[in-house]
Amino acid sequence: MSPQDKLVIALPKGRILDEAMPLVRAAGILPEPAFDDPKSRLLRFATNHPHIDIIRVRSFDVATFVAFGAAHLGVAGNDVLMEFDYPEIYAPLDLGIGACRLSVAEPDDLAASDDPRRWSHVRIATKYPEVTRRHFAARGVQAECVKLNGAMELAPSLGLCTRIVDLVSSGATLKANGLKEVEVLAEVTSRLIVNRAALKTRPDEMTGWIEAFRKACGG
Amino acid sequence: MTESANRALLPAGLRDMLPPDAEFEASVVHSLMSLFARHGYDRVKPPLIEFEESLLDGAGGGTSSQTFRVMDPMSQKMMGLRADMTPQVDRIAATRLGAQPRPLRLSYAGQVLRVKGSQLRPERQFGQAGIELIGSDAATADAEVLVMTAEALIDQGVPGVSADLALPTLVPAVFAAYSIVGETAERLRAALDHKDSAMVAALGGAAAPLLQALIAAAGPAGRALAELRALDLPPAAAAERERLGRVVELAAADLPSLTLTVDPVENRGFEYHTGLSFTLFARNIGAELGRGGRYQGGGEPATGATLFMDSVLAALPGPKPAKRLFVPAGTPRAWAQAFRAQGWVTVSGLDPAADPLVEARRQGCRHRLGSDGIVDVELG
Repeated sequence: MSPQDKLVIALPKGRILDEAMPLVRAAGILPEPAFDDPKSRLLRFATNHPHIDIIRVRSFDVATFVAFGAAHLGVAGNDVLMEFDYPEIYAPLDLGIGACRLSVAEPDDLAASDDPRRWSHVRIATKYPEVTRRHFAARGVQAECVKLNGAMELAPSLGLCTRIVDLVSSGATLKANGLKEVEVLAEVTSRLIVNRAALKTRPDEMTGWIEAFRKACGG
Repeated sequence: MTESANRALLPAGLRDMLPPDAEFEASVVHSLMSLFARHGYDRVKPPLIEFEESLLDGAGGGTSSQTFRVMDPMSQKMMGLRADMTPQVDRIAATRLGAQPRPLRLSYAGQVLRVKGSQLRPERQFGQAGIELIGSDAATADAEVLVMTAEALIDQGVPGVSADLALPTLVPAVFAAYSIVGETAERLRAALDHKDSAMVAALGGAAAPLLQALIAAAGPAGRALAELRALDLPPAAAAERERLGRVVELAAADLPSLTLTVDPVENRGFEYHTGLSFTLFARNIGAELGRGGRYQGGGEPATGATLFMDSVLAALPGPKPAKRLFVPAGTPRAWAQAFRAQGWVTVSGLDPAADPLVEARRQGCRHRLGSDGIVDVELG
């Protein structure tokens, strides 16, 4: 095994990053100072290991980078993994961070009168069209999904759709917008993900990092 | 402009292969097939398209969702375009070559067409080259197929070849022993496919510790085998483990340069495999280079392997540029013939009045034949 081969770790921007960084550091990977500088325009950062780089991308893109082997390791929520269902991603470790749930929500008044058994078709605004379609198809209901990238909670009140599927943590945003969580599709936490070919062709190295992260989260 | 752009557009997943790639693919296939032939594998050539019912019978059942169909106006029956060549070779072995002595060694190369590309292989048409070893249940047969295809890749110059061995029957045996059926089995299978240890723990019940140990056992062959041997497996699975150990031993002895890994829960692309299977990888290439394993061919034990030419070519350094020699119009044919015999590619001028230097450049020749022999040409 040649030590020059690069290892790229993809981390999601935003909320999860703050929870993931202590684990990355505990696993012994320390990024260069620019990583913690909010003014830095860099996207790719060196670390204390000469052959390891960290990239910081949007959470959905973490899965894509790892699936295509452009990054070898990454941190992604199982909401993202379920949405893409990439066969080339392994998720060997639950990091136990970023806990929330993927839920269906609808306006309070609708929730009071609705009978889900009578549905044949629902219209749903979501960032997760695939998960949503699969979930409703399993119940024999056709879900017409309107793909939005944020502010899902606005959609029902403006008549874009009747229901939404979105991540819920405290439920405060739903409540503020007159929505009620009616069904949980999945409990969500962030996973350490690994590219399949990388694990097959660099087994010692990749297993080593998985173990380092396992220790870092106390498992 | 717009019209020619439209003519250039091909359906998704299909492409034109241009020089020098087309020639390179043909030469790599030729060299692979010669290697198989030297090991006693006789080449067969099934048709591109055949009756759906025979194409999708037996081992071909798994390719049903990937198969293009057309109706045969002659017989009024449905025909399928092959999505994989193994079922065709299996059919030949069971029917026309059914009376041949066993073990039967066959090789094949050709193009296949699939309804949909996959994430790592968006191509819907690509080349396959492979071998089938029919009529032997021995571990030595598994090892022969594995070692030969891996060696073929190494000989071609693919760097960092590794083989990942799997036992597709192991997880079903564990499921059967713990009576895991129905939807739980499906969800558990999906979790195992993603090595999602947390989900396996949640769904696995009494089988969870064993399944998690199987996930954890994946890795370099030596360590993986030691971990597998320490596990208490159902009897059917234990027999498969024995075979795995034997094949690893044989392959390591025959081809020490091959990196061997074992993944007991691997299941991708092994839909029709009924025993020890393997996937060939190359370092820093995301896509699989080839795949093989044991299957039930027309009632007899069989094993085989297929190389996927698109990813094999991607893993190779690429063709050496040919030495092109421009031969001006009017040069005696025998002269050009003599240079071709020395390995030159000769490109003949057609117009005696043309400037040989300009023509040589235009035709991409780094050399031209002048009055005093070969002259170097600076390409602009």
